[in-house]
Amino acid sequence: MIITLLMVGLVLTGGFAWFSEEKKAGSAKLIALLSLLFFSVCFITFVMAASTEFAQLQQLTKVTWIAVFNIHYQLALDHLSIMLLLLTFLLSIIAVLISWREITYRRGFYYFNLLLTVAGIIGVFTAVDMFLFFFFWEVMLLPMTALIAIWGHENRRFAAIKFFIFTQVSSLLMLIAIILMAYLHLQQTGSLSFSYQDWLKLELPQELASYLMLGFFIAFAVKLPSFPVHSWLPDAHTQAPTAGSVLLAGVLLKTGAYGLIRFVIVLFPQASQEFAPIAAILALISILYGAKMAFAQSDFKRLVAYSSISHMGFVMLALFSFNVNAFHGAVITLVAHGLSSAALFAFAGMLYARIHSRDLAKMGGFWQSAPVMGGFGLAFCAAAFGLPGMANFVGEFFSLIGAFQRFPVITILAALGIIGSAIYGVVLFQSSFHGAVKQQFIDLSIRERIIATSLLAFLLIIGVFPNVILQFTFNGGG
Amino acid sequence: MDSQTIIAFLPQLILAAGTVGALLLVAWRRSQRMIAYFTLVTLLLTLVSTFNGIGQLTTAVTQLFYVDDYGRFALLLILLVSICSLFLSMQRLSTDVEVHDEYYLLMLLTVLGGSILVISDHFASLFLGFELLSISLVGLVGYFRQQQYSVESSFKYLILSASASSFMLLGIAFIYAQTGTLSFSPSADITGVSSLSLANNYLLPLGFILFFSGMAFKLSLVPFHYWTPDVYQGASTPVTLLVATVSKCAIFVVLLKCCFAYYQHYMGLHEQVFNVIAAVAILSMILGNSLALKQQSIKRILAYSSIAHMGYLLIIVLLNQVHAIEMAWQSTLFYLTTYLIACVSIFTVICLSEGEQHQDVNLADWQGLFWHRPLLASLVIVAVLSFAGIPLTAGFIGKFYLINLAANQAMWPLLAALIIGSGVALAYYLPMVFTLFTEQGQSDKKYDHLLSFGHRSMVSLFIVLGLLLGIFPDVLGHWLLEF
Repeated sequence: MIITLLMVGLVLTGGFAWFSEEKKAGSAKLIALLSLLFFSVCFITFVMAASTEFAQLQQLTKVTWIAVFNIHYQLALDHLSIMLLLLTFLLSIIAVLISWREITYRRGFYYFNLLLTVAGIIGVFTAVDMFLFFFFWEVMLLPMTALIAIWGHENRRFAAIKFFIFTQVSSLLMLIAIILMAYLHLQQTGSLSFSYQDWLKLELPQELASYLMLGFFIAFAVKLPSFPVHSWLPDAHTQAPTAGSVLLAGVLLKTGAYGLIRFVIVLFPQASQEFAPIAAILALISILYGAKMAFAQSDFKRLVAYSSISHMGFVMLALFSFNVNAFHGAVITLVAHGLSSAALFAFAGMLYARIHSRDLAKMGGFWQSAPVMGGFGLAFCAAAFGLPGMANFVGEFFSLIGAFQRFPVITILAALGIIGSAIYGVVLFQSSFHGAVKQQFIDLSIRERIIATSLLAFLLIIGVFPNVILQFTFNGGG
Repeated sequence: MDSQTIIAFLPQLILAAGTVGALLLVAWRRSQRMIAYFTLVTLLLTLVSTFNGIGQLTTAVTQLFYVDDYGRFALLLILLVSICSLFLSMQRLSTDVEVHDEYYLLMLLTVLGGSILVISDHFASLFLGFELLSISLVGLVGYFRQQQYSVESSFKYLILSASASSFMLLGIAFIYAQTGTLSFSPSADITGVSSLSLANNYLLPLGFILFFSGMAFKLSLVPFHYWTPDVYQGASTPVTLLVATVSKCAIFVVLLKCCFAYYQHYMGLHEQVFNVIAAVAILSMILGNSLALKQQSIKRILAYSSIAHMGYLLIIVLLNQVHAIEMAWQSTLFYLTTYLIACVSIFTVICLSEGEQHQDVNLADWQGLFWHRPLLASLVIVAVLSFAGIPLTAGFIGKFYLINLAANQAMWPLLAALIIGSGVALAYYLPMVFTLFTEQGQSDKKYDHLLSFGHRSMVSLFIVLGLLLGIFPDVLGHWLLEF
């Protein structure tokens, strides 16, 4: 019930923020921030106070929704979704803080969309009726697309359309797979069902299973994104407003990984085992290609965007290695990449606010005037290329160890990606903060320091004590 | 005729009587207001009698008609849309000095044609309804003769429509030559024909395809779609609404009735015509959507998008399993409902945002609409997303019904075309939505209050409807289950 209230609350406060901005300028961001803080506290209290153990999927709500197709409004939580929800809350608070000064027009409608996106994402992470899941999967796109198309940079419309078409087409494939699964349930048990838990009991015919798995896989691979369906990502990330990029990289990409873990691997264990070599090769290409492309960029945000492709490649490689270590690595990488890429995008936003450009060629020597910013920048670049002590290192290390047992050659090659990430990480840092002084500006404000410090703190905590996350069990490994 | 038959046939009787009454009214006194309200009352009475009929027994009215709940529901849709179109027309005509009695008369005839089509069970009644619908629509399309494209588009429509009917007649003749009956469901005394050998019989499938091509013309399916954009653009908006909704809804319903009846009676027929219809469907989905890409005029975009939508609907015609027919009807009616709601919504906005001269509305005219007229823009957003089949809107559930059916029947090529078509479609639907958000640098003056209370409530009603059916489809889905 609480999750439903959270979503409804977010939508309502979003509407209220929009309304109040019309009456009193500048009130929307405050309402958005306070409501997000309040809702995240609510959520944490609920999880702490709940008597149930979330090691297994715990059903929270089940209400009939569309009786004609036996579709239910069904929500459930387990450790994986709780962790991703916490990440979502953290990053959405940061997204609001980042937008504080950046968004100067249509602020009410902006925060409305931002809160709507968060509500949709919460739905994706908790829905266990597959129709409902699909519903949220699409609904979270709408406000996100609006964020890109209205408040984005120069090429925003093209990027928004591309983003939308990629996800829409791939998710239609998933919809067909969902419908086929429901009819398979009809054949085997005599009743139509879209419920995830019901599907777990199905016996899948071998050949059909691999096609169905592909339907799901493509939808999630687009979102992840994996080579060769990644090309929406650099455009969308680059053109989105900073908060949009943060949410895209930090949370939306994770919905793809979440889908792979929860649906592809668990529902189709055998089919995904057979598919694993192909997935691993796609992951390898993503890792190397992403790193190579990141190195070649001259646009700050585009560089970070391509690095995301590379990092998410590790997640996919780890997930399809079917190994507990690799699986843990993937989960940590999800969180770590969520934090570190959010931090880098936030930095891009802070730089853009100061010099009105994302072009690396126009940057340089910023350390002179903004040493604090430089220090944080270095830390985040180091996190991105997996410096030990940071969360990313733990994640990628575990992923590679686990994956090595299954795909030794691919893993060795994938390890080259880490070197690649060090190269583009250093390039990014050097060209912006070192070298000849191109421009002078003021250092981080208190608000920006709060953003940077909190992200860095989480990265360090997870990096030094990965057990913060690993103490929980996540279904899907092994 | 017993009383039950008369009650079943009552809507058509009221409409016919209303048409005659309207003629007499014109002779008695020419008054814009009077004839408009007379038409409205006729339509409302028909609506009540149709609504009353839903849930009652299916009845055969002579050989020609067969009244069932599917037909009644389709008629309900047609009537609701016509009432909306009537409201828009009244607004459009109220500024004219000339008295437009004929306009309302033609409108009633169009609805009568549609109402005959949805219950016809015989090729004779089908042809009757078809011609009534087409000829009165030709009159309506060319009605505003001062407008730039009016003569061109009505001529185009007239000539192509006439040739389509002649092809259809030829097809019907072929079918009659083979089966010996014009009825969709041959009665018991001529069961001999249902065992008609189809092995070396080319005339029946040929006749069927010719008949289908006549229908396809009305549904503006590729390759019979050339008239669509010009007629959409040339006709005045309320008339375009009629062309887009009443005519397509009625024709599709009767086509489906006829196809299902024929598949059942002549088993082999389905395989022989399947490929042709499938090709038409696939081409319509892909070409319709691709051709809309570079258009600037909103009506032209809608014309091409309607081609694609009819292509999606054709998936249902290809169904061949007797047990799935009920599901097919539910899908058809749900999809048509969502499609009609979206059509009415967007044409209402076009009507309300047309200038004094009623010139064509371009995409550029809608720039920044969201900031100036949030109510109208919200309606556009809901309607366009509904066309695109995005969740939260009714169109998604309609598409869900279709995909359900197609996936269940393993029609993979059609599903692939549907996915590709929907992907391409987004490339023109989304810019339509984005245009509404364009910044114009002007002040955010709101003009919504300039709309009359009636218009505002109409717009809000459509927004609510479009979302309601998207979020709680059971409201309609349950009802359809009982048919």
